[in-house]
Amino acid sequence: MLTILTAVLVSLAPLQGQTDTTFAVPAGASLSVNNFGGAIVVHGWNQNRVKVHAEHGSRGRIEVSLVGSTVMVKASSRQGAPSVVDFDITVPQAMALTLAGTYAEITVDGMQGPISAETVEGAIEVRGGSGIITLHSIQGTVTLADATGRIDVNSVNEEIKLSNVSGQIKAETTNGDVTLTGVKSASVEAATINGSVVYEGTITDGGTYVFNSHNGDMIVSIPEGANVTVSIATANGDIDPSFPLPLTATHGKRRYTFKLGSGSARMEVESFQGDIKLRRPEEIRDRLQHKNKNNNHNEHDDSFDFHFDSNGVGAAWVRDYAATYAREYAPKYAPLYARRYARAYARAYSH
Amino acid sequence: MAPLVLEGPLTRDQPAADVVAVDTALAASGDATAFERLYRTHVARIHSLVRRMLDADEADDVTQDVFIRAWNKLSTFRGESAFGTWLHRLAVNVVLGRRKAVGIERGRYVTQEEPLQNVSGRSDTPELSMDFEAALARLPEGARQVFVLHDVEGYRHEEIARMLGVVPGTSKSQLHHARMALRRHLDR
Amino acid sequence: MNDQWTDRLSEYLDGELDAQERGALEAHLSGCAECRATLAELRQVVARAKGLEDRPPKTDLWPGVAERIGSGKVVNLPAHRARRFSFSVPQLIAASIALVLLSGGGAWLAVQRWNVTDRRPTGTLAVTSASWTGHTDAAIADLQDVLTRNESRLDTATVRVVRANLAVIDRAIAEARGALAGDPSNTYLNLHLADTMRRKLELLRRINAIAAARS
Repeated sequence: MLTILTAVLVSLAPLQGQTDTTFAVPAGASLSVNNFGGAIVVHGWNQNRVKVHAEHGSRGRIEVSLVGSTVMVKASSRQGAPSVVDFDITVPQAMALTLAGTYAEITVDGMQGPISAETVEGAIEVRGGSGIITLHSIQGTVTLADATGRIDVNSVNEEIKLSNVSGQIKAETTNGDVTLTGVKSASVEAATINGSVVYEGTITDGGTYVFNSHNGDMIVSIPEGANVTVSIATANGDIDPSFPLPLTATHGKRRYTFKLGSGSARMEVESFQGDIKLRRPEEIRDRLQHKNKNNNHNEHDDSFDFHFDSNGVGAAWVRDYAATYAREYAPKYAPLYARRYARAYARAYSH
Repeated sequence: MAPLVLEGPLTRDQPAADVVAVDTALAASGDATAFERLYRTHVARIHSLVRRMLDADEADDVTQDVFIRAWNKLSTFRGESAFGTWLHRLAVNVVLGRRKAVGIERGRYVTQEEPLQNVSGRSDTPELSMDFEAALARLPEGARQVFVLHDVEGYRHEEIARMLGVVPGTSKSQLHHARMALRRHLDR
Repeated sequence: MNDQWTDRLSEYLDGELDAQERGALEAHLSGCAECRATLAELRQVVARAKGLEDRPPKTDLWPGVAERIGSGKVVNLPAHRARRFSFSVPQLIAASIALVLLSGGGAWLAVQRWNVTDRRPTGTLAVTSASWTGHTDAAIADLQDVLTRNESRLDTATVRVVRANLAVIDRAIAEARGALAGDPSNTYLNLHLADTMRRKLELLRRINAIAAARS
């Protein structure tokens, strides 16, 4: 059934279950989804139609309307407290997305346009996208892959992972690691307070790269032949490069400047307590692959400790690794599963 | 509580400020290498500002003028604001001064909503902002400059009005006309 | 069509209407889908403007500039530029911290020049972090008050997470201050403390915005 929507209120069936609707949209339309609690899943396809599938309890209410050139999908509830609704929406690949929720997990793939996703408690996972990409969560991990543009990714309590991205990149969290791999950019900013930063990407002439943390290690790749002035600062950590670094200046006890090649790009790597590790890209890639191979069965383990000390690794490393691993593994793993089960139960029982 | 609006643009992508400050001090005492570093850091921003407020043809020349003027005036820069802010303000002054010199008053301000809707966006390059920037370039100069100063660069209406020699009401209405004309050219 | 309303949408968007005008416009908006759509489009235009990327010129303009300023390290200065222009280190630090605070959430702070007590260009500095953190501390205290008032609008899990992360940042601030006490003129430590305080401001601001949106 293909109809052009002007304003439609889709009301749901009286029993709990699902709602489905499909309609054509004009070119250049954008999508705005507002879901207080539940999943927001968006896929792209190459048709000019939008398909909305929603699963909800009987108290849930779904509104789908076309306002100007924006398709608005909103979940609300018939009386009182909000109920949980899970959306699965398929839209034209070029549609711009604005997705918002509170207890909402947001997943996007196959899209080619700008994406804005905001949630308080819920992970954000996006694959694809171009233009202005803004992903903000408070309590959820944020993952972005295969995207390009002006990228601004933010979490507070969890980690951030960007892979295969290009453009202008900004990634910040408070309590989590920031891992950037396969990056092509001349402007990168990555920061955290309680976590480490890993960067594997280009260092282009004239670019600016700023990495900092309070409590974590910085692991930054610098390709051979890069032209970059590197300014390193740490209060309590070690500086550990895997290639020669020609020191050009020191500023007090804690800040050092190195110039590689023509020094064209500018890089700042700073960690208050953590170590600063400069590596070649292959070293970081190898390490990440190795980690993935070993940990394929455990998608939640993100606390791998990069330790490149090949001289008598031994007991000390193993002890440190186990201590970090156990400490971080348990608190992260348990609540994530608890949340998922809680939502499924809430959905089934919210009537 | 409404947030305080700061005068002038907020500079976000800067190298460590103390490095900039040192380079500024060096350049002010005649070190052209230090000035070149400042140039490299700021040229993209200044060139983009100039290009949007004037046009692509003049942008190169005017950008050079801005930096030369900055070199000459560096001794008057007191470090009260960030160098980028000072440079930016200087660029705006150069742009507006040039406008007065060339002095085409006619058709500078929009009197009704401009018929831009039939302008199709074209892009030579895959850069994302081509459609939007191309539409921006087609706005009448006054409306375009108000839009750039307010929405792109973050100046307030009182300031824009002072700079352009109009009343704040004109600045507000020009901004509105510019936004209304541009909304059809948001790239998706 | 609705020209009288449409014409005011930009002012509404920019927060320039007084309370009465705003009320009237919002009342109109709740019943006018077309104006709502226009407003959404205007928002997108503003967002697009903010997201415009800066591109450098296609050709390198530096040679043209260098030629006209006289390249190389200049030893003979023209008379009118002979005055040596130097910042004292406290001024550099104050300026750089002002920049850091401005560039990340400074909308909540009044722009002020920090009064630097020590103007000696060389030698030890009498500047302590107290001389510039005062304003930030005040801003943080204000926002924390607001958060306490707003907390009831957030659910307990979010409040817990926010508090835990504020504690993380507080620990980092304390550690930075501690290090700075032992090495007060260190530029990196000053900047790091400023940056960490800015993070706290931003988190408070973000949470307050979320709480306010729930009302």
